[in-house]
Amino acid sequence: MTTTTVAPPTGATPVDLARGFLTGGVVGVSLAAFVVGCTLGKVPLIVAGPALLAAYGLLFRLAGAPRRAREGALAPRTALALIDALEVQKGEETDVPVRFDLTVAPDRAPAFRIRITQDVHVSELRDHRAGAVLVVRYPPDRPWLVRIVKRPTPEWEERAAGAVLESAPGPAVAADRQDGCAWSLVTLLGVLLGAAAVVLLLRAELFGKDTDAPDGRSASVTSSSTSTSTVTSTGTVSFGPGRSMLDRGALRAAVDSLTGGGGGGGDGKSALTVVVQEQLLTVVFSPAGADAPAFDPRSLPFDRVPALVEEARTTLGVDSPRTWQLSAERLTGALTIRISVAGAGGSASLEADGQGVVVRRSPAR
Amino acid sequence: MGWHGYLALWCAVLGAVALVGYGRSLAGVTRAQRMVRVRGRIERVREPRHGGSRRGGIAVVVSYREPSSGAEVTVTNDGERGELITAAWTGREIGVSYPRGRPHDYRFSDDPEAGGRGLGWPNAALLLIYVGLVVVASVDWGWPWALVGVCGPWALVGLCYLPGNVRDARHRREQLASMVAVPGRIVAVLRDVSTDAEGSTSTTITPVVAFTTREGAAVTAHCDSGVPDPAGSYGRELTVHYPEDDPARFVLDHAARQRSVRSDVAVNVVFLVLVAAAAVVGVVLL
Repeated sequence: MTTTTVAPPTGATPVDLARGFLTGGVVGVSLAAFVVGCTLGKVPLIVAGPALLAAYGLLFRLAGAPRRAREGALAPRTALALIDALEVQKGEETDVPVRFDLTVAPDRAPAFRIRITQDVHVSELRDHRAGAVLVVRYPPDRPWLVRIVKRPTPEWEERAAGAVLESAPGPAVAADRQDGCAWSLVTLLGVLLGAAAVVLLLRAELFGKDTDAPDGRSASVTSSSTSTSTVTSTGTVSFGPGRSMLDRGALRAAVDSLTGGGGGGGDGKSALTVVVQEQLLTVVFSPAGADAPAFDPRSLPFDRVPALVEEARTTLGVDSPRTWQLSAERLTGALTIRISVAGAGGSASLEADGQGVVVRRSPAR
Repeated sequence: MGWHGYLALWCAVLGAVALVGYGRSLAGVTRAQRMVRVRGRIERVREPRHGGSRRGGIAVVVSYREPSSGAEVTVTNDGERGELITAAWTGREIGVSYPRGRPHDYRFSDDPEAGGRGLGWPNAALLLIYVGLVVVASVDWGWPWALVGVCGPWALVGLCYLPGNVRDARHRREQLASMVAVPGRIVAVLRDVSTDAEGSTSTTITPVVAFTTREGAAVTAHCDSGVPDPAGSYGRELTVHYPEDDPARFVLDHAARQRSVRSDVAVNVVFLVLVAAAAVVGVVLL
């Protein structure tokens, strides 16, 4: 019996490492883009993350198609094999991994020794013993992928029953490819670097907004506009990413934070105008002693504001509404709340009274 | 880019996938259409070992004639070979298919006439486009559009299929009534224990019944239902009912099947009424 030695692939090649790094990088970028997009409320990033992953997966599959077609076109080779030794590994499942040392003896090729691991059902273990002959199958160009045929054809079954094989000389070559930890480390590095790249690129937006307020919210009071004899004060509350003035209780708390402590120069109660946007509250306080139509900003119908904004966004015919603004004043005597929305399809607004009841609509034209 | 931009992108990408898929199907070049399909015959059935595994189905030896060379080919269901053969007898015809030029990559199917046009991907793409449109309509115009968009088409499809379902139920009822009863025996109980990623184990017990038809075919089959206390059923004698034209569709719980088939039409109608009512509610709330 002529023998040969099979040389299975050893470890991960540089190409494998590069591919692992690239895959890890794409996964890292995709995940980070999705998470950062959710944090910043940026829909393009939220969409781009999964889309990049899907596109990469498709490309990866397409790139591997020729190799798979080439390998698939080659008919596997069936051969007899002798079990030189075997070692059953214990497990909870009924299919237990068994390590086989085999001498494979193909009909028109030299025999070779190989070590493989294959799951065997516990009820079939007694069929596999050292010295037994069985049927195996493997791709002719990759003999290290040898697998035991559990249900051979009658012809091969008869051949195995009547065959006497001798063990080939030399050690059994381990067929299980050992990628080692290098591939895992490189892939993990790719994930981390990909995620870090996204965070670095968007660091200004991620960390810039709330640099001054670590808790994601900043309140600044600005004294401004000196004219001749009157000083008007303005209070501003801005929220960091992830928070909205429409969150439950957020607007009321923001107004209270400006009025409760005296409003940074105002009288702490009366306001000329209140302007609210998604993450911004601005209160223009009435100067002390001024004869202007002011109102108590705490009297706004806070509980109605989210519903009014939603109504303005959805019922006024503005396509893809992007921004909204609420302004409250009582120039005409009664408190008037105007909510404007703007988007790709133009702008529109509605007006509500001091109780939050809609009194006028100006749909998009 | 607003919501509608993303919807347009979604529809464009999936529309391209659907177009390519339907084009390939029309041109006859999908993987399913390029398969060579032949009729195979089970030559030998290997009786399952008591305590063995259900994976891979019942071990059989199948022969078929290679269309190009006319040679007789013998194969087995070793490894991943398409549909599991869970009922087998010598002489049973089953489908064998393989990619052109790759007979070693064969697959089995229970139905010898089985064969698709490879429209799975394009149909899935169309479904996703439809889902996208319903979601955007619901966001833009209010949630009643979700009811209209989902339940409306379902109700229409259900209505179209109702006559067919009624005919099927009647056919099943007639088939159950005309089934032949023969004695059978549990010749093995297969046991598979597997562990999932979280470490919890699950055990699958599959009794194997053997019975002989009036025509003399010795049938061996997995029993996925109808055997009380399956773990302790080894050696149990029971009565097997089977339709004369296809013993693979045997039943062990004949009376229970007859009861359930009577309620099939009622379940269909109730489901259709519920879906239609939901669609009407959606229209009213618009």
